Amino acid sequence: MSAPLAGEVQPEPSGSGGPQHSKLSRTVDVTLVVPVTDVHAELEEVLEAYGRELDRLGRSWECILVFDGIKGAPLQRGVALQESSKGRVGTISLHRAFGETVCLSSAFENSRGELLLTLPQYVQIDPRELGGLFDAIDGGADMVTTRREPRVDPKVNQLQSWFFNWVVRLVTGASFRDLNSTTRLMRREVLEQLTIYGSMYRYLPATAYRQGFRVEELPVRHLAEWGGASVFGPGVYMRRTLDIVGLMFLSRFTHKPLRFFGALGGSAILVGSLLVVYQLLQWALSAEAYGLYQRPTFLFGVLFIVLGSQTIGFGLVGEIIIYTQARNLREYRIEKVYE
Amino acid sequence: MSHKELDLSIVVPVFDEEQNLPVLHRELALHVGGLGVTWEVVYVDDRSRDRSFDVLMELREQDPHVRIVRFRRNFGQTPAMAAGFEQSRGRIVVTLDADLQNDPADIPRLVARLAEGFDVVVGWRKNRQDGLWLRKVPSRIANRLIARITGADIHDTGCTLKAFRRELVENLPIYAEQHRFLPVLALASGARIAEITVNHRPRIHGVSKYGLGRAVRVALDLFTMKMLSSFSRSPLTYFALLAAPFLALPALYLVVGVVGFSGVAFSSRWGQAAVLTFMMMSMAGLYFLMLGLLAELVVKTSGRPFDPLVQRTGT
Repeated sequence: MSAPLAGEVQPEPSGSGGPQHSKLSRTVDVTLVVPVTDVHAELEEVLEAYGRELDRLGRSWECILVFDGIKGAPLQRGVALQESSKGRVGTISLHRAFGETVCLSSAFENSRGELLLTLPQYVQIDPRELGGLFDAIDGGADMVTTRREPRVDPKVNQLQSWFFNWVVRLVTGASFRDLNSTTRLMRREVLEQLTIYGSMYRYLPATAYRQGFRVEELPVRHLAEWGGASVFGPGVYMRRTLDIVGLMFLSRFTHKPLRFFGALGGSAILVGSLLVVYQLLQWALSAEAYGLYQRPTFLFGVLFIVLGSQTIGFGLVGEIIIYTQARNLREYRIEKVYE
Repeated sequence: MSHKELDLSIVVPVFDEEQNLPVLHRELALHVGGLGVTWEVVYVDDRSRDRSFDVLMELREQDPHVRIVRFRRNFGQTPAMAAGFEQSRGRIVVTLDADLQNDPADIPRLVARLAEGFDVVVGWRKNRQDGLWLRKVPSRIANRLIARITGADIHDTGCTLKAFRRELVENLPIYAEQHRFLPVLALASGARIAEITVNHRPRIHGVSKYGLGRAVRVALDLFTMKMLSSFSRSPLTYFALLAAPFLALPALYLVVGVVGFSGVAFSSRWGQAAVLTFMMMSMAGLYFLMLGLLAELVVKTSGRPFDPLVQRTGT
């Protein structure tokens, strides 16, 4: 996992006196966070479209453009935007590509907004939908995520996306239908309390939900989608699968590690025992005289049993850890106590 | 906020019980109010989808004994119970379902029993008013298992109507689906447990929120509970027990092999298979010992008071 030490943060967003400004200086209603991962990013259009809508809604805003290892012309355009924006736009340049998660956390550290709005680097969602997002936050939600509906991208992509979201729903027990839509509005508090790392950016709503935040999903109008019809490569599928396994462990088994390790170890023991018994029977019934040590399957069987019991042992240690730490694990979040 | 302001706290997890709440509260006020002690009811609203919360707010207007804890979203029964415990202030804490199947009239008897010198008093729904096959039979099997495995002689761990001393709830870890096992965990830390039969009434309003799947999970949790309740103080002992067969068999065979009975000697066909098998087994045994040491380390550094009742002085 790449360390989120990010890079040279230059120049400071909104130029109000370095990174230490955050506590003292005045805040704004919302910080727009745009991770820039492509040289063709439509920075001006995004700022224009969403900025105007926010002005119309009467929300004060600032925008932080995070260049994820992107240099040259796009960065210069970003700096030009910053200079002409009278402190409204800031840029952060990461010295290499760290991914959207690091973009978000470095923007968060430098943000002043009480809310954060993450946006893709092109006008993907109808700006007029922003009002609905704010309404949901005002209605008590901690995070609002969006669902593109109806979608305008090719059917192949939609199908893969649907499948991905279905698996995540199954695994986390949360009900999000479009985790690939990264237009999301959240309270500052959410990011303060979540530790985000790796590919968490995509799964932010699911992670926040698991941590006990109230997350809502709103259908929004889908205007455009980058990228043509394609079947994602095996690398993408591989990464997503690993993400999902990690997510499953964290969301389902943090409080019951033995259920996870027990299931794994139990199946290993079962497979191992079947192999051993089969080999023993064959050996006993065979007219041929041979030693069991000559049968690799037998040895594999023994190995599986040993591995399985080890795995269960790990689960037991996990249970002890959870049990002794239970005081510090709060599973719930109280909205208010009415005395 | 001082924790010991009141004599009695009633903790009621609430999820979609709008029709039952007014009746429940009337009964509570009647039976608990008649005890002549200072009391409160902590209703934990697990983000009900119906009007339960509004009903609770109305009750609060009418009765200063009502306190409401509202969750940000739905979390489930155990977290609701844990939150209720945490927010309650009574020296005695009684838990109760909001579905009216538990009878508040039993509370004075529970409290009286506790006063006789017990730490936990558990309700036993002797005449259960639920479906036989979906509810009663699985429950009976689960309870029999719990009693057999943990040595806790309790007929009905699933009954929510229980009374606890404050010291106990402050020191018991409540997470996952553990409220069911609270008496067992309490027993492990030396608590004195009593059981009394309580009234159980059929459900009038609303629907039951339990299913058969629960019983299966409960059975799975047993294994864990057994370990935690008896070994969390010295996990190394437990792991040493686990490791014993893995180490003893190879050791035994080593002796046999060295002494050299011809049929099973190292060089025989049996012997060669056995050498490989036992090598792997002894590896597992050693790993178990190391895991045990690791667990010991976790326990020793956690600084958790494992004997909540050691502090039970002057109650």
